[in-house]
Amino acid sequence: MEQGFISRRHFLKRTSQAAAVAGAPLIVPASVLGQRAGAVPPSDRIVMGGIGIGSRGAYDLQSFLARRDVQFVAVCDVREERREIVKSTVDKHYGTRDCTMYADYHELLAREDIDAVLIATGDRWHALLSIHAAQAGKDVYCEKPCSMTIAESQALAETFRRYGRIYQAGTQRRNAGNFVLAVELARSGRLGKLRKLHAQLVDARSMPPIPSHDWLPAEPEPPKLVVDWDRWLGPCPWRPYNRLYVQGRWRNFFDFHGGSILEWGSHTADLCQWANDADHTQPIEYEPEGSNEGPFAVHCRYANGVELVMRDSGWLGLGSCSVRFEGDDGWVETGDTSKMEGSESVREFLRPVSDYREAMPNHVRDFIECVKTRSQPRANAAVAASSHILCHAAYIAFQLGRKLVWDPAKGEFAGDEEANRMRSRALREPWRI
Amino acid sequence: MSQPDVKRETAPQAAAPKPATAPRRPEPAPEYRADQILGLSASQLAALLESPQATVFQKAKACQRLAAIGGKAAVPALAGLLADPQLSHYARYGLEPNPDPAAGEALRAALKKVRGALLVGVINSIGARRDPDAVDPLVRLLASADPEVAQAAAAALGRISGLRAARALEEGLRRFRGPVRNAIAAALLVCAEGLIKQGERERGLALYRALISPDVPKAVRLAAMHSAFVVENSPARPI
Repeated sequence: MEQGFISRRHFLKRTSQAAAVAGAPLIVPASVLGQRAGAVPPSDRIVMGGIGIGSRGAYDLQSFLARRDVQFVAVCDVREERREIVKSTVDKHYGTRDCTMYADYHELLAREDIDAVLIATGDRWHALLSIHAAQAGKDVYCEKPCSMTIAESQALAETFRRYGRIYQAGTQRRNAGNFVLAVELARSGRLGKLRKLHAQLVDARSMPPIPSHDWLPAEPEPPKLVVDWDRWLGPCPWRPYNRLYVQGRWRNFFDFHGGSILEWGSHTADLCQWANDADHTQPIEYEPEGSNEGPFAVHCRYANGVELVMRDSGWLGLGSCSVRFEGDDGWVETGDTSKMEGSESVREFLRPVSDYREAMPNHVRDFIECVKTRSQPRANAAVAASSHILCHAAYIAFQLGRKLVWDPAKGEFAGDEEANRMRSRALREPWRI
Repeated sequence: MSQPDVKRETAPQAAAPKPATAPRRPEPAPEYRADQILGLSASQLAALLESPQATVFQKAKACQRLAAIGGKAAVPALAGLLADPQLSHYARYGLEPNPDPAAGEALRAALKKVRGALLVGVINSIGARRDPDAVDPLVRLLASADPEVAQAAAAALGRISGLRAARALEEGLRRFRGPVRNAIAAALLVCAEGLIKQGERERGLALYRALISPDVPKAVRLAAMHSAFVVENSPARPI
């Protein structure tokens, strides 16, 4: 158990007050100064809160709690049950009863002692909450997909640039050894001139590319304290309550989810962007193929001629979220098994480089180090926004069933008004970005 | 192009720990199936909005579809729902991305017709459209007795930007206190960027300097300091 956890600012305030009152030299225990083995002084700890910590968020939370330089102090959720579970987890970890619960995220963001927030709500809240957190002066680690639309993606990048806050998207494969090695093989020229990139999407049988516009049957709303349905919906269009949504079955509904393309494209197309040295642009053409029942693909082309194929089938079986990079001199493919396959020309480099389970701690470490040094993590807001714009453009092309031409500089489709209208969605009052 | 040694198998093989994939979605209610509505033409959708027999679900889906395909002819039917507490957001969903000037006119007209949260929504949509014709009514709403409305007006003015919006926001920064003032400060940051993009570099810098004050929220103050530094040191490069 780590004792004596208090926030940095609170620590400084208390100790200076105490010194002033006592009028005596300040005597500080070695553990507080970090002089005891493994201890981190309060001034070096990042104070964090969590918003919308469910099953995925709990996985993220463990990586944060495992760090001695992070102090988790608060949780916010629209579900009472979730608030209490997370508080219990955090308090048990620290051996305290200090984790504060909130139903309204504004109260959490208003706390001056909180440096950063973990956002792991459903997708509908990701961009809006991240933006509001940045405006409140917080750094953000946010689960993916990071946005519901192209407009939200753009606003996300603009806000974090404007406020100078640190953002890390939950695209942890950017810090997974096998994926990093594959990307480096592409970027270093070992594959020769890059020709074709492949990004795996969720199998359409599990998750169709186009979610449903239907509603589930109406059920009586629970008391607001138990589940605040209005706040759960947030910026999304109103619909009647059904418990299945809040129990995690919100995926595959259009208002809440971007379907297969956003679900895994936010990981895999993101890696392709990196491999192609295209983190700050997107492909200029998007051509859909296949049906909503699968198999399906979106064929994209960058301005530099490199092709990107986002597809749900035809993989070597190296695990979920596979990517494949092909150049004139060779190819490499990898996935979540961490296994790698490649052409003879690169086989000498292909060895077990990591366990996939290392990805999350690595990704969280990248974030925390950047919070301390004010440098940019691998999945920063500009990079994440660009990858998400790519995915949204592919998603729109698939919905329309026609080839689209995208202008990355202007942020608009060429000569297709319907597609351009789909770049944004009006948010429900009172929400805005 | 030759592709030496490229291995390809067509059938995906068994694999590994999977990130979240959802089980097949649960069955929708029969009265909440959208397929038929989404297949209607724009004129049929507009007619559905005006039909007394149509359900909330049908109207909601019609509005969402009209967001992509509704033209000028769909605007009156959508505008007619802006004061409906249950469907106002859906009406904005249909109007906000519609590039026809009639959509902008309908939203501006609604500024005088709706109140409270619905008015906040209309203001937000006007801000999202960056409608320069709405600056004068938004300046008036900056002084609204409803702080939520005043904050929304500030944010919209920031997004629209321009010299008139900048003047109003600057004055508001001096005149108001509390959450409205904080919203104005945040809006001025956005407004300054807009001005600089429009070539009004000095005016934009002046807004940043106005925000570098101890009584401005710290996050905004720091952002203004940073932005001013970037602009002052990169004369040829827009932020």
